[in-house]
Amino acid sequence: MTNKKITYKPIDPEIKELVRHHGQTGEAALEVLKDLDAENRLTPATITDTARALRLPAHRVYGMATFYSMLSFEERKNILRVCDGPVCWLKRASEQSLVSSVLSAVGDNWTVERSSCLGLCDRAPAVLVNDEQAGPVTGEDAPKICEGWRGVPTDYSQPRPGEVRVMMANADKIAPDSIESAVEYGAYSGLKSALQKKQEEVLDIVEASGLQGRGGAGFPVGRKWKFVAGAKGSPKYMVCNADESEPLIFKDRVLIDTNPHQLLEGIAIGGYACGATEAWIYIRGEYEYQARLLERAILQAEAMGFLGANILGTGFSFKIHVHRGAGAYICGEETALIESLEGKRGEPRLRPPYPPSYGFRGKPTAVNNVESFAAAPHILKNGADWWKSLSNYTTPGTKMYMVLGHVKNPGLFEAPFGLTLRQIIEDFGGGMQEGSTFQFALCGGAAGTIVNGSLLDVPIDYASSQKGISLGAGAFLVCDQTVSPVAFLRELLHFFAVESCGKCTPCRVGTWRSAEILTRMAIGMGQPGDMAELQALSDNMLLASFCGLGQSVPIPMNSAMKNFAAAFEKAES
Amino acid sequence: MPINITLNGKKIEAQPGQTILEVARGHDVRIPTLCYHKDLSPTGNCRMCVVDVKGSRFLQAACVTQVSDGMEIETDSPKAVASRKLTLGLMLANHSPSCVTCDISGECELQDLAYEYQVDAPVWGMKGTRYPVDSDPNPFVRVDFNKCILCRRCVAACAEIQARDVWGVAKRGFEEIIVAGAGATMLEARCESCGQCVAYCPTGALSNKLSYGQGIARARQVTRVATTCAYCGVGCQFDLLVKHGKVISVASNPDAPVNGMALCVKGRYGYDYIHHPDRLKKPRVRRYLLEYKEKRLKGNAWDWIETDWDTALDLTAKKLREARDNFGPDSVGVLTSAKCLNEENYLMNKLARQVIGTNNIDHCARL
Repeated sequence: MTNKKITYKPIDPEIKELVRHHGQTGEAALEVLKDLDAENRLTPATITDTARALRLPAHRVYGMATFYSMLSFEERKNILRVCDGPVCWLKRASEQSLVSSVLSAVGDNWTVERSSCLGLCDRAPAVLVNDEQAGPVTGEDAPKICEGWRGVPTDYSQPRPGEVRVMMANADKIAPDSIESAVEYGAYSGLKSALQKKQEEVLDIVEASGLQGRGGAGFPVGRKWKFVAGAKGSPKYMVCNADESEPLIFKDRVLIDTNPHQLLEGIAIGGYACGATEAWIYIRGEYEYQARLLERAILQAEAMGFLGANILGTGFSFKIHVHRGAGAYICGEETALIESLEGKRGEPRLRPPYPPSYGFRGKPTAVNNVESFAAAPHILKNGADWWKSLSNYTTPGTKMYMVLGHVKNPGLFEAPFGLTLRQIIEDFGGGMQEGSTFQFALCGGAAGTIVNGSLLDVPIDYASSQKGISLGAGAFLVCDQTVSPVAFLRELLHFFAVESCGKCTPCRVGTWRSAEILTRMAIGMGQPGDMAELQALSDNMLLASFCGLGQSVPIPMNSAMKNFAAAFEKAES
Repeated sequence: MPINITLNGKKIEAQPGQTILEVARGHDVRIPTLCYHKDLSPTGNCRMCVVDVKGSRFLQAACVTQVSDGMEIETDSPKAVASRKLTLGLMLANHSPSCVTCDISGECELQDLAYEYQVDAPVWGMKGTRYPVDSDPNPFVRVDFNKCILCRRCVAACAEIQARDVWGVAKRGFEEIIVAGAGATMLEARCESCGQCVAYCPTGALSNKLSYGQGIARARQVTRVATTCAYCGVGCQFDLLVKHGKVISVASNPDAPVNGMALCVKGRYGYDYIHHPDRLKKPRVRRYLLEYKEKRLKGNAWDWIETDWDTALDLTAKKLREARDNFGPDSVGVLTSAKCLNEENYLMNKLARQVIGTNNIDHCARL
């Protein structure tokens, strides 16, 4: 290898134009990369030119291009992303291998890629055909994908028996693309009510309602907004976390699908309360359909005067932007999300400082989940006491639940807190499937607890993880006697290993090594000492990882090894 | 307002805003570090400096965690030590195992810590090579990512010390790797070969190509001689590494008052003139100046003859005076060198303007 002679070349004018189109700041880097990728023009040379046009070091743009999984240096005409999530894995186990049937069905114009969970768990086994979500795909349907077949979206217009619908209340009435139908059913009346109050009053109402963040951690929304409102620094920003890349979770997608204006209204209420004038919805790149839906909804709302300058003549101006990710679970971590929004690799930041004091562009920023924002309009409309009255249990309000796996009616429903796993399976999931008996459930999300039958009757909320069963983002994947807990944990660790950002050692190598051990164990090649090593890796990830991703990988690991010790011991020898 | 904390059972005072590591070092309590370096922004990547803070579910990275009032810190709790050992094992699992043939064996921070904690590379660790050895054609920097532990000091050194932003991080998770530019060679990525990344690399992932294989880190064979760089007037200091009476390499000296660890490509890598056979060690003059009355070009009159300083300087002074007296002061021009000190340049200025009487003076740095 010798050094090439380095000669000066002007920046490709097309890239210059592209960069100008996206705003000529470092924050535009991901958008430019996505456009280049769509034209199959992602190469080290175009990346270097992009970096020069953006006045960034080349490594920074290259680091991004290789970080996000949806971007590729390979030439792709049509892309079929096959979901590799645990729900799709469960479905595939009983049917023919989806990938092989898809591979044999598609022609030369198609590139088939694996993808971490696509957020289409209610349509499992799912695929993403270019930008279009498709599923459920069986082996027979695979050939039809190339001809435009996309399967059937799950219908959530009618509530299940026992549901208490607030955020989903008008799912059957509102046409998602029509602001008129949304307004007819009360959209933006919560914002109107907020704008008639003082900022502090809105903050007090949200705090009094006891609304807890729905991303999984359950941090009180009112308190977070008060931090932002009281933080020094201006301007202030709202960020809506719609990255939803955790396997099992698809509630945010359904909330956007059924009622995008509810989300926009919630963000605007938050913006008014916090004293922010601009907001970004960071939506995962796989949700292109939902991103476009939101963009259209924003335009409609601006035309009606619910967003934009001088909203409803009150003098309050608020702009919402949609920002697409490009495939990275870690960007659901709020500081990694902010980094990504700033046009960097989605790696978590040091905390403290926390986003309410030092967030997007270094300014006070409120980062909340889609579901948290979606709840806000209803609280403003009906009051904090009403919100509290919805749930008899410790946590106020309603929650979106997802029940998946070997139940008769998998899908999504809205209900108060404090449900038990038995209620979720029997009352809402329609009971176990014919011939299935309950073996275990993954509760919360991929980073949730794996529980056995002994915890079926524990009421679940944000605090119940102390008892060994977590609520997380509200997903429950129920598995019957046919599923090996070892193989199941392997699927989860495989996901974490693929999605670890690589910043810190315990998670970067720990997830990879754990997945390696579990892969071996699951196919009967375990060795004595494997469990002890898994436990040590897990303990170290919990204690020493840099961010929440590494710290939560041990939750499913520890609970699976504790609750299914016999299965792991058997796999070890 | 100082705050009170407890460090390893001892009550001490600390300043708000200080990190645990700073406080500990101020009280001679050692916390092991790898990705941390006092000259660079701390990142908290490697997780070697984790310590036990009472009341916290997780261990805290001492390099980035600020102390708070009433904090109770234990630096070597069994939990923290166990975590360090495991993390070290994970690093060693992805580190070329052949210390015996490594150029920096003996100065390797990873090796030091592995020895201190008695951690071996796990049996499942890397046996062969994941990446090509000596993968970059840079003439001075030798790159071997099989030894890289992804601490990212090189990235920070390049960005913060040299402000060239050559090194960056690509890919993610287990596949993560350090890259130059857009996956290019170092020189293509605007590298000016200053070697700062080599100086800050805690392992042998980045080493010096010119001295590779000469055992620069083997303390029993190598003498370190602190010296000042001869190249320019900045006066950077560094250590010459001398083996068998020969200079084999230059190493940054962290205590250097002017430059710290930083050096430029000339200071760090331009030392081959020291033992070069063509190097002039005494002044030389043309033969005719010593043996004839006037300028001659025929025969051997134009040869260089080695002489002593007094003779050479007398001749120079005489010729300069003659030129000034016969042709006027402006017939003389003075060109000074960046290798001279500021004081020497000042004196040349005086010589030109006041002794010779000309304003014809310039400096090579303007060329």
